[in-house]
Amino acid sequence: MAFVSSGYNPAKPMENRISDIGPRFFKDFLPPVLEKNYGKWVSHEILEPGLLVHEAESGDKVYTVRAGTARLVSTEYIREICEIAKKYADGYMRWTTRNNIEFMTTSLETAKALKADLNGRKFAAGSYKFPVGGTGASISNIVHTQGWIHCHTPATDASGTVKVIMDELFEEFTNMRMPAIVRVAVACCLNMCGACHCSDLAVVGFHRKPPIVDHEYLDNMCEIPLAIASCPTGALKPGKHDLGDKKVNTILVNQERCMYCGNCYTMCPSLPLSDKEGDGVIIMVGGKVSNRISMPKFSKVAVAFIPNEPPRWPTLAKVCKKIIEVYAAEANKYERLGDWAERIGWESFFEKCELDFTHHLIDDFRDPAYFTWRQSTNFKF
Amino acid sequence: MAKHPTPLLDQLESGPWPSFVSDMKHAAELRHTNPRGFEQQVPVDVIDDLLGLLEMSYEDGTTHWKHGGIVGVFGYGGGVIGRYCDQPEKFPGVAHFHTVRLAQPSGLFYTAEYMEKLCDLWDFRGSGMTNMHGSTGDIIWLGTTTPQLEEIFYELTHTYNQDLGGSGSNLRTPACCMGMSRCEFACYDTQLMCHTLTNEYQDMLHRPQFPYKFKFKFDGCPNGCVAAIARSDFSIIGTWKDDIKIDQAAVKAYVGGEIPPNAGAHAGRDWGKFDLQKEVIDLCPTKCMKYEGGKLEIDTKNCYRCMHCINVMPKALRIGDERGASILIGAKAPILDGAQMSSLLVPFIPADDPFDEIKEVIESIWDWWMDEGKNRERLGETLKRLGFQKALEVCGITPVAQHVKEPRTNPYIFWKEDEVPGGWTRDINEYRKLHQR
Amino acid sequence: MDDAEAKNLIIETLKSKTNKSKFYLKDFYAFLPDMKKMAVSKLVNTMVAEGTLEYWSSGSTTMIGLKGAGKQHATEEGE
Repeated sequence: MAFVSSGYNPAKPMENRISDIGPRFFKDFLPPVLEKNYGKWVSHEILEPGLLVHEAESGDKVYTVRAGTARLVSTEYIREICEIAKKYADGYMRWTTRNNIEFMTTSLETAKALKADLNGRKFAAGSYKFPVGGTGASISNIVHTQGWIHCHTPATDASGTVKVIMDELFEEFTNMRMPAIVRVAVACCLNMCGACHCSDLAVVGFHRKPPIVDHEYLDNMCEIPLAIASCPTGALKPGKHDLGDKKVNTILVNQERCMYCGNCYTMCPSLPLSDKEGDGVIIMVGGKVSNRISMPKFSKVAVAFIPNEPPRWPTLAKVCKKIIEVYAAEANKYERLGDWAERIGWESFFEKCELDFTHHLIDDFRDPAYFTWRQSTNFKF
Repeated sequence: MAKHPTPLLDQLESGPWPSFVSDMKHAAELRHTNPRGFEQQVPVDVIDDLLGLLEMSYEDGTTHWKHGGIVGVFGYGGGVIGRYCDQPEKFPGVAHFHTVRLAQPSGLFYTAEYMEKLCDLWDFRGSGMTNMHGSTGDIIWLGTTTPQLEEIFYELTHTYNQDLGGSGSNLRTPACCMGMSRCEFACYDTQLMCHTLTNEYQDMLHRPQFPYKFKFKFDGCPNGCVAAIARSDFSIIGTWKDDIKIDQAAVKAYVGGEIPPNAGAHAGRDWGKFDLQKEVIDLCPTKCMKYEGGKLEIDTKNCYRCMHCINVMPKALRIGDERGASILIGAKAPILDGAQMSSLLVPFIPADDPFDEIKEVIESIWDWWMDEGKNRERLGETLKRLGFQKALEVCGITPVAQHVKEPRTNPYIFWKEDEVPGGWTRDINEYRKLHQR
Repeated sequence: MDDAEAKNLIIETLKSKTNKSKFYLKDFYAFLPDMKKMAVSKLVNTMVAEGTLEYWSSGSTTMIGLKGAGKQHATEEGE
């Protein structure tokens, strides 16, 4: 189709340029009842899964209906959210930090009708469009990264793994029967754009093979010093490669030192990393961000490697479900997954969750490793 | 009929959770029927090709994206990330498929009217695929071509009063919890602080001036809904200093089972009758509570505000009135030296508009990190390398015991010369008067 | 050194570096050791706005080089 100009003049980029205006002012987007009672809220209650009420000093009440969505959504899907907002919530909507959407109304009746409407909307192939839930002691929506849809260093897909895990744990999204909230995250490589390092349950894509070096083309495509400087472990050095008729400049990889982060691939497309057999996922557990009862804590590696099994990653889904089931059955009320594992001891955690403990799970990476070994005779047989 | 068969992705259409595949297939069809009559500026089969490329990844277990580069809008070092597919002949619709990040409004509230306008622009000039939202908080638009970037920016700024977000070695788009909009736990106005600082530091957000990325996150209370303590270089977390306010009648109502505990969060399972002693007092990490003679007491001096009792009984307990924030610094994901949480820098700071006290701390930290930070070194790593004392020193903050979980376990203290009486310059001849060679 | 001289020095220094075309901001500090770092950042950003320099971003990291320089340039710019 024909190019349509916005009014921008490429010959004079600075002409009429507007910049540095930042985001829109949030108060322009607040539902009136929220703006009126801003900073004057006194309490809240979850009336049923996915339906909350908040009360203000003024006596005003606002009902919120929360529904799960994929993070990867089309404008068509967003337009449907807008229609729902206009029908039930005076045209206002909100996303949560965990990719849920919320609609607010001052009428409980409207909220209930909205909830029923949301639960009734399905895609042609049958999945829910807007399953209501994600409140209280549930497994809320998964925060995640791009994966194969849009990233250059993923070791797995994110949207797909999230879909299969949420399918497996769906009943826990729409109910509130966990001992405490369960925060799940998926990151498609060890750079962890998602919050895997502090989640109750986390899936991290992981490569296990050092980059392949495309010697013949490398010096034409990449600036060697930049690629070498990008390696966090110092595993790269400049070298020569013999092509038979000539020697070319290239990069040599110290494979023992490589941690498969993909930083060099970012700087140099002649160092591709991903590999069908090499790539897969790690499961981490027991992290949290909240200061409630116990301090925030990091997630720990519970499963060193699960191969990629697209499209539905059955092993991954099964292991996630098992961990959640054992946690739900064994933990005390209010006890986060990591607090439970610490109380029973990690040796009991592995036993109860029927997970193999292998040498991969003993930390050998730099300083913090020592502090995770057991300097005590207090352990369980 | 779909352009590329996707037998593997089709298996992600089953199951109850919203299927991104179903959504994409529907969106792909609508690009062809084009019911809104857009003069689509990127290939009409862009979503078909995106699905085809993803199917290929599902077959071969590897990614097909390359990224990085010079693309962007003129004068900005962030907000756009170049993406290129490694199968451009097979999937020409996504050969050039750049990411655009839009700065999100504080708290992620929108009107339908505004959101529909954004959708119109993105259908017109991009793929129509988005992330709501990216991990840092921005609205993410997935996929447009290089010539569209300036056009999109021009329309965003001229028509929608909307700017791009951050990427690269910049201040990243700050993010906050929904705070005072709808939460009774908000100890300060997270949304206003987020918005104010985002605007104050636009230059840092758009034009790279840092050794690496830098993130602000604003949590209204220690529950930490935006994960400030885990995910931001500069974490501002609401807190208070005085008594938790107790409504004794409401406490009795909780004890009597008239109000569901934890705001009804555990209603889906029979946990037995609410037991104040077991569920609140015994779980209090500092054991600073007691319930005697029908009266709940909290020893404020020993409370460290973990939020548990308030979360369990929100109708009976409320945060105190002497409110402000704690500042912690240096969180980051694991790469490279392991994950770091933020460490406490300022135990308590007023958090009121115009936030001058907080800006002063930010700018002191930045001055130091811009000076001392190595290339691609996050603030947390600079702290580890040069020591936490340095951060206190550059901010002019007096060290207090609150700054540590425990004192050091080694005695290897690096004294400064001026801390030692007489300094380090000594006279060997004076020494030899008492000690033979 | 005034701004014009500093800009010239930056351009000449970049032209003299033959093995790479992209630099971290900190490298520019080293080209102009007598200038305040903040002033160097501002100057570099001005030179980008004037079209002499350009940013290169990996998404997570930003580098800076002479406009049009570098081996990947041709493949990145076009449609």
